[in-house]
Amino acid sequence: MTYVIIGTSAAGLAGAETLRRLDPKARITLISDESHLPYSRPLLTYLLGRETTREKLFLRSLDYFREWGFETLLGTPVTRVDPGAHEVHLADGRALPYDRLLIASGAKPRLPPIPGLELSGVFTLRHLADVERLERHLAHARRVAVVGAGAVGLKAADALAHRGLAVDLLARGAQPLSKVLDQVSARLLMEAIARLGISLHLNSWPTAVVGNGGRVTAMALNDGRELPTDAVLFSVGVAPRVEFLAGTTLAAPEGIPVDEHLQTGDPDIFAAGDCVLPRHLLTGAPAAFHIWPAAVAQGEVAGANLAGAARRYDGILPMNSISLRGCRIITGGHLTPDTPEGEIFEELDATTGRFKRLVFDQGRLVGATLVGEVRHAGIYFRLIANRTPVKDLPVDPRSPHFHPGRLWARPLPGAA
Amino acid sequence: MKTVIVRPERCVGCLQCRLACAVEHSQSKDLVAALGEAWRPVARIAVYPGGRHLSFPNKCRHCDPAPCEAVCIAGAIRRNPARGTTDIDPVRCINCGMCAMACLFGVLTFAPTPQAPERRAVALKCDHCPDRQAQGRPPACVEACKVGALNYGEPAAEMAAKGRFLAQAFFAASQGASESPVPDSIRLWRQLG
Repeated sequence: MTYVIIGTSAAGLAGAETLRRLDPKARITLISDESHLPYSRPLLTYLLGRETTREKLFLRSLDYFREWGFETLLGTPVTRVDPGAHEVHLADGRALPYDRLLIASGAKPRLPPIPGLELSGVFTLRHLADVERLERHLAHARRVAVVGAGAVGLKAADALAHRGLAVDLLARGAQPLSKVLDQVSARLLMEAIARLGISLHLNSWPTAVVGNGGRVTAMALNDGRELPTDAVLFSVGVAPRVEFLAGTTLAAPEGIPVDEHLQTGDPDIFAAGDCVLPRHLLTGAPAAFHIWPAAVAQGEVAGANLAGAARRYDGILPMNSISLRGCRIITGGHLTPDTPEGEIFEELDATTGRFKRLVFDQGRLVGATLVGEVRHAGIYFRLIANRTPVKDLPVDPRSPHFHPGRLWARPLPGAA
Repeated sequence: MKTVIVRPERCVGCLQCRLACAVEHSQSKDLVAALGEAWRPVARIAVYPGGRHLSFPNKCRHCDPAPCEAVCIAGAIRRNPARGTTDIDPVRCINCGMCAMACLFGVLTFAPTPQAPERRAVALKCDHCPDRQAQGRPPACVEACKVGALNYGEPAAEMAAKGRFLAQAFFAASQGASESPVPDSIRLWRQLG
């Protein structure tokens, strides 16, 4: 069997490794348009904040590809996939035949349709090369504006403030992370943002990037203000990288549709990671959610299925960990219940800033947010994913006694 | 591969394991000296009240494959096949909290450590005391446990021993019982002899 995998990040590598374990003799070729060794994309903001070093970004050793017996085509963009001929066409004109193909091409940063994006000093943060470009520009910058207060924007703003730059953070809504955070958690987060010295602008978005002599000097905002700045970093979400699938029926604009085996419309083509439009674990509705752990989990399933394992992917449960200096939030599942009989439980300890918020629906836990003390987050998410009825638990999740002791310590029969 | 086997039914919640764990993971490995160290020693085992006078010692199970390893964006959590542990490298850990999001047992603690002095905090959990293992000694919590709630052994061997014990106990208990009682006539006849 000849396998080709497009993409060497979280999903591509997890797929390749799973495939190799199941099929030790397979011919596996990995393609990437990046020429670096595989690195951790989520660490880029940590590299920007000098919280990690360039060499710690790389997750695999120099010998990795040889040790695993992977053939590689690095720095080689894919231009076209021909499902009929079972061929992947590369930018250098070559055509690579495959028996089965895994598409793990990831996503690219979105940019708003505003004038001034061609100016020097406009950045996105997705690739290692982006950090290198940003580093060169920051050498003579004092003020940086970060557009978009999502997970990446928040962490990037934290990193830039940590370096001593004056940071303006623009949130389109009335709070950061408006899609995943409730008001109380958002208030705690905004207090932490203020403590970091970041200027947060709510209900704000740019209408133009303004420059002088080809360089960014300011940003025009929706409310008519002009915000002076030396650089603009856009973190307003990502779009799946599927342009090389134009002319096939495989891709939709929101991502590559897949079935529960992560199989695309073509039985010999599977897809995993940020380029996919998976189903929500709880609702079953298509739900795009881009996070490293989900890409790894999908890559493992797709890799096994390339080898013919017919493994199921249960679906994506959106969750994330927001860890800024002095603020830790883990949140996941539903922000509000789907049905009117749902219920929200909130418990705030004002002195410590610890907050626990649980969303229940139809007798089950469907969402959880923890601020400050997050060590039991994984337990809540497992209950959500397993759809465990609350009445079957030894202790109610709302109780202060909801902890491993009450969950797992049981009297011996007859000992009570 | 040896591991710490927990018998929660024996735990009395004395917290000696926590103290021993914190001391073992201090720089001096000495209780009195550890109190004055710049990095406050942190226990990687927790003891929760379980209700009805039961306690529950909770620590890393060293899962294989480990959910925390799969989600770690820093490549800091790796399986050590030689020791049978899932280990966190504090130098690579970036304190992002993803492991706490994935851990089914709630065993992660975030605190500063002398192994990564430049970091505000890193993820900490049980490491089966590698320094002690090198000396052929059991983990600190096991040595400290006075009631046999924490044991260091081979899970397969411990399960086999427990199976044998249960089989013998069952056999012994069944000896007294008899399928059909001896009829009175035969009992009296035996008394004659």
